[in-house]
Amino acid sequence: MMAIDQITLDILWSRLIATANDQAAALMRSSFTSIVREAGDLSAGVFDRRGRMIAQAVTGTPGHINSMATGMVWFLERFPVDSLKPGDVLITNDPWKTASQLNDITIATPVFKNGRCIAFFANCCHALDIGGRGLSADSRSVFEEGIFLPVMKLIDQGEPVEAVFELIRANVRTPEEVMGDIHCQIVGNEAGAKQLLSFMDEFGLEDIEELADEIVTRSEAAMRDRIRDLPDGRYPYKLTIDGFDEPLTLKAEILVKGDELTVDFAGSPGQVPLGVNVTLNYTAAYTTYGVKCALAGDIPNNEGSFIPVTVRAPEGTLLNAKYPAAVGGRHLVGHFLPSVVMGALAEALPDQVMAPGFDGLWDTHIAGVDRRTGEHFSYTWFSAGGTGALSDQDGLSATAYPSGIAGVPAEVIETLAPLVVRRRELRTDSGGAGRFRGGLGQTMEIEVLTDEPYLFSGLYERTKHPAPGLHGGRAGEAGELLTNNGTTLEPKISALVPADTVTVLEMPGGGGYGDPKQRERDAMLRDVREGYVSVEQAAEVYGVEID
Amino acid sequence: MSLRVGADIGGTFTDLVLVGEDGATFEIGKVLTSPRRPDDAVIEGLSKLVDGDDERRAAITNVVHGTTLFTNALIERKGAVTALITTKGFRDAVEIGREHRYDIYDLRMKRPEPLAPRRLRFELDERVLADGSVRKALDEGEVRALAQTLIEAGVEAVGVSLIHAYANDAHERRVAKILAEEAPDVALTLSSELVPEIGEYVRGSTVLANVYVKGIAEQYLSRLRERLKGELDLPASLFIMQSDGGLCEIEAAAQAPVRLVESGPAGGALAAAYYGDLLGHVDVLAFDMGGTTAKACVIADGNPLVANEFEVDRQYQFKKQSGLPVKVPVIEMIEIGTGGGSIARVDALKRLQVGPDSAGSDPGPASYALGGDQPTVTDADLLLGYLDPGFFLGGTMALDVKAAEDAIRTKVAEPLGLSVLEAAWGIHQLANESMASAARIHTIERGKNITAFPIFATGGAGPVHAFGVASILRSPRVIYPLGAGVMSSIGFLTAPMSIGFSRSLPGRLDKLDWDGVARIVGEMEASGREILGRTIDDADIGFNHFADMRYQKQGFEVRVPIAGGTFDAARHDDMLARFEETYRGIYGHVMEGTPVEAISWRVVAHGPKPTLALPKAARGESKDPATALKGRREIYLPAQKALAEVPIYDRYRLPASAVLNGPAIVEERESTVVVNGAGRIQVDENSNLIIDLLTGDEG
Repeated sequence: MMAIDQITLDILWSRLIATANDQAAALMRSSFTSIVREAGDLSAGVFDRRGRMIAQAVTGTPGHINSMATGMVWFLERFPVDSLKPGDVLITNDPWKTASQLNDITIATPVFKNGRCIAFFANCCHALDIGGRGLSADSRSVFEEGIFLPVMKLIDQGEPVEAVFELIRANVRTPEEVMGDIHCQIVGNEAGAKQLLSFMDEFGLEDIEELADEIVTRSEAAMRDRIRDLPDGRYPYKLTIDGFDEPLTLKAEILVKGDELTVDFAGSPGQVPLGVNVTLNYTAAYTTYGVKCALAGDIPNNEGSFIPVTVRAPEGTLLNAKYPAAVGGRHLVGHFLPSVVMGALAEALPDQVMAPGFDGLWDTHIAGVDRRTGEHFSYTWFSAGGTGALSDQDGLSATAYPSGIAGVPAEVIETLAPLVVRRRELRTDSGGAGRFRGGLGQTMEIEVLTDEPYLFSGLYERTKHPAPGLHGGRAGEAGELLTNNGTTLEPKISALVPADTVTVLEMPGGGGYGDPKQRERDAMLRDVREGYVSVEQAAEVYGVEID
Repeated sequence: MSLRVGADIGGTFTDLVLVGEDGATFEIGKVLTSPRRPDDAVIEGLSKLVDGDDERRAAITNVVHGTTLFTNALIERKGAVTALITTKGFRDAVEIGREHRYDIYDLRMKRPEPLAPRRLRFELDERVLADGSVRKALDEGEVRALAQTLIEAGVEAVGVSLIHAYANDAHERRVAKILAEEAPDVALTLSSELVPEIGEYVRGSTVLANVYVKGIAEQYLSRLRERLKGELDLPASLFIMQSDGGLCEIEAAAQAPVRLVESGPAGGALAAAYYGDLLGHVDVLAFDMGGTTAKACVIADGNPLVANEFEVDRQYQFKKQSGLPVKVPVIEMIEIGTGGGSIARVDALKRLQVGPDSAGSDPGPASYALGGDQPTVTDADLLLGYLDPGFFLGGTMALDVKAAEDAIRTKVAEPLGLSVLEAAWGIHQLANESMASAARIHTIERGKNITAFPIFATGGAGPVHAFGVASILRSPRVIYPLGAGVMSSIGFLTAPMSIGFSRSLPGRLDKLDWDGVARIVGEMEASGREILGRTIDDADIGFNHFADMRYQKQGFEVRVPIAGGTFDAARHDDMLARFEETYRGIYGHVMEGTPVEAISWRVVAHGPKPTLALPKAARGESKDPATALKGRREIYLPAQKALAEVPIYDRYRLPASAVLNGPAIVEERESTVVVNGAGRIQVDENSNLIIDLLTGDEG
């Protein structure tokens, strides 16, 4: 029998989540980094004094959310809880302890009541710049990727540790924005702490241990219930992606035993001499995210919901890279992990999984000289292909998954850079055929207003290995990178191209679900009428003749 | 002596108020909404208010009207067969959207279908660049041929949204001219007229939403005007409430019906601002709780906050970005799924959850005894003694206590091992918690400190829960206006005539094309003068100016109030200072040294604010509240965690200036004011109840 009654627990639990949400909302609105602001590429959470996450903002991207959740223990390993003092603020961007990329800075603030640390607020935000080569996959080791901040005190009993501030400031290209965001992160935690203390007073709580135990226990039990519903067994799957010099096959086996679930990536590729290696916590972040999407989207994210799920990968491999491997572009591999989980669970949970989709955002970077002004320009944006289909629903066209980015309007692109977007349209027939069709990719055609050769670099996936379907569904169309003038471009290699080159990005579609021959005729007619599927594909793949 | 009428068509009722300029006349009418022909209810209600009195009929000068008709048509997809005309290569912009997931865990996340299906989205081989220069001229033959295609396809409405038309509208205008010749029966909206702002997705989506309901709006508004004259012989002018809190005449309304989508809630927000002002509060949190949802709106410095964008047809009513964006000025509000009909249940984690699913009004809460067996917030309120089973809706509907008890016992109390009373309190308080959280995050996102704001409580369930919500938010005061059920209509009568314009002209503040800014601001002012000049004197027309500004590379803008007058380089420092002031107000800091950009420019032309006189409560001999005492009953008092007997007052019999102390219940026909803790209750001269929360020594 607990001392907090049921209703008070429910209220306190909802207050905790609300506090984290408030913190995230304030951070998101004030950030200087567009990916934080628009895509919510941040996370915010409340931890108990043992470092267990007990509530988290409903926002953000899986890479941040789940890696921060498991990261607090590292702060406590360096600074044991009772050595901390009021006014302390901690910082790190250690990729092996948090979000697997130096740009992702985590700030943690202990909260004190009556001189005792009773909780932590932490948040992780993507910094606009962190020095080094800049965000790229080109590094050979983490040393090239920017400034590395081990777990340190950023503020010591209210006194800013100037050396740390100065070091960061001196090592990044955009000090105003980066320091501004760090400031927002600190203030966000303070605001959260204030709210927590205020409602602890309201309810006469001296600490939150009992509340934390209750939250963790209940969430863990709910997660275990869901896993127990799965038939025991081994569920293997492998997913091949383009990779860099050679394709990468991500191999997983999910082991369900009673109320525990283990995802083992043994047999996946070894470490590569490029910045796309993934640290284990990031691998775990995207893997648990996939498990949660399929199994328990409604169970709140906290320590309890992670306990029954174990993620393993042999040390020194692509999915458990060893320091000092280069990891800056870890999302180029990590974003495919939820689809690996979906594929593995497809037999056991046919109605709860989504077929693999384009998964990896198409990242385009163009730099050159503006014909009209003679000034140098450089511009980057991200685009989405199609997502996979489900057992009762088509995939979404041109919609991000698993990352949560937002696209940029062509009119904005053309205002900010000397580019002309000649076309941005859905790509007919690119959705994987199936009883339910994969989402369509999109086509973008880009012209540069320049008289000089310009630099084109893209990070494009699924140009050779399309998104596979599930349960008889066909693969989506692979992506393609074309030009108007015979210039050949490789999907992951930067190139200086002639000024008059017009590039065409054909983005991949999502995988289909179920036998295309079983697609309902009405859905088929609509697809053809609206031009999502051609008359030819309808006849050849779906077996539906339409005049 | 002149009279004015406010008329709001809501989902269930059409509310009307008739007021005189001296405060002597103040009548309320409520008739059932007539969904098929919404004007029927307006005519019925009005003729009841006029009541065959010719003197009264002649005295009515204005009818101010708001309706959700167009919103409903958008949600139910009952608008015109609509096509889009855009630039070659961009017909899918309205479908590709933001490429964004608004829910990261929901694999079955849905996106709304564009209002023009893909087969009816047509492209013209023309192109304007970002600087407004023409890259490829319009081929008029192509437009004429397209007009025939539209007619053959049975298209009734066309939205034209060409790339960069906000920077150069020549092509759109030419298209309009040709379509008017070739397809004169097709309704038309141009993006460069309705929403000349950067961003092809949101602009296109707005244009489609507008033209989709334009036919319905034209028909409805002209029919209403004719019936007011023809059937009721009213000499009054008809004005329409816009979503941003300004009025317009019906010609303007029919051209831009998408500006009317939130007219009802806008009226409620205006009423909150009006009452707040009356009581000396420039900052107020308007809180409205009805059967299925609760809404909150921030009134700051006397005015409701206005946002530049809104969403219609959300796939999930309470999820941001799950709907179709429309870029129109709208009073900013947050809506959550907590209302009297919200269902309580126990989730997979054995937590008590309330809403967002709702029993609505059919079958409704278990206590309605209309077949509902799910426990709802209303059922909990009943068991806590907050509602009188014999005096619900003024006694017109009996509530079944046993049914409420059974539902709460079996669905909540037993599964959680609680008593029925504990479970009922949990439901009530969790509903309060979620409303308070939603209101708090809404104000944080806007940089306001909610603890300083008094709460203005309306809606059927608002007065039942407002005191609890205020306690959680630590608000100092709750205001319960008389006539909470017709607040939107009352708000309508406080609105000035207004019309808003916007134009994009992006640039860095230190390198701005000031001549260009001066030109577009001048054009917007001239348009405002022209439109408002039809109904008000030129001397009475005022202007508010805003610039949407941001730090360079930021992805969103803040709406900065700026001065009018001359626009030239000398304005730089002032504009910067005003931007910084606004920015600091929201985010708490500024970024010195970072270049600042202005993206869009806005002019709101407005007339004078009408005065509204409220009726004064009868001044009796006594200030003693005892005269209004109806009896006593047991209600749940959280501080004591038990039921205790408290006095029940009849609101209509409370004398002005009476002062009483909580805990207490004050009953009126449409709602019940619940004060379940310590509070000082005053009745003001307009019969409003004002409750000051007392902290510390809790009752």
